[in-house]
Amino acid sequence: MASFVRAANNVFKQMLDLGINKGQAESEGDSFISQGFTVMIGLTGAWQGWFFLDMSQDTAVKLAGIMTGEEYETVESEEVLLAGAEMGNIICGNAITDINSIHSGLNIRLTPPSVFAGEGMSMFNVRLNACSVILQTDAGTIKLNVVMREAK
Amino acid sequence: MKGLRADGKAIRVMAVDDSPVIRKLIKKALEPEGVAMVGEAGNGRDAVELCFKLSPDIITMDITMPIMDGLEAALAIKQKNPGQKIIMLSAMSDQDIVADAKSRGINHFCSKPFKTEDIMAKILQVINE
Repeated sequence: MASFVRAANNVFKQMLDLGINKGQAESEGDSFISQGFTVMIGLTGAWQGWFFLDMSQDTAVKLAGIMTGEEYETVESEEVLLAGAEMGNIICGNAITDINSIHSGLNIRLTPPSVFAGEGMSMFNVRLNACSVILQTDAGTIKLNVVMREAK
Repeated sequence: MKGLRADGKAIRVMAVDDSPVIRKLIKKALEPEGVAMVGEAGNGRDAVELCFKLSPDIITMDITMPIMDGLEAALAIKQKNPGQKIIMLSAMSDQDIVADAKSRGINHFCSKPFKTEDIMAKILQVINE
């Protein structure tokens, strides 16, 4: 989880000029309720699983606006969805680079991101328990949720 | 402005990334420095075709893209034009990826997230080689 938090800190600072206050990492169980905007990225290789970047729709709109310098009304704007996807991709990519360099031979790779926008969605991992961390930013609350298991 | 060649003309850059947001950010970072963004592509296949039409000074190339990834595209470009300067721009930069890229003759990397000064410095380093 530490690699993901470091990566998020780096991305928020460098791309968005936002500081983050990190909460405690905690076991999430096999599901969580989305805040309204969730980026999902699959992980493949010696370890498999998913990375979720979760936030409210309002936060997603704010972050997209900071990222591109444009103004957006809602998450229905394609650029908001794309900006969210790219944020998730870069955070996850940086974290996995860190993990791959620490644990030689893992060769974990990412799938292209999927973005889900909707109220009250339940994100459910079949038979896997996740770990999550809540990050507080000036744009709102961000959740990092990671589930990984050794590939059989 | 930093984005000029030795002959005083703007450095001509083509941005290749499947994310339109990233292509927009690259443009926003480089154009104020005087760089001329001469083209963009969303996948490796389009990048190869466009590169030979535009002959940019430098291509910034994402790695993970649909249809043809950045490493395949860079290799295809280098096979026809070994002198084409390419900077791989990616969120993933572990040893295996870097080694794979180097085996295809690609020696320049920039990580995402990038700051304007980082990508500009890399462009100036590459253009002056």
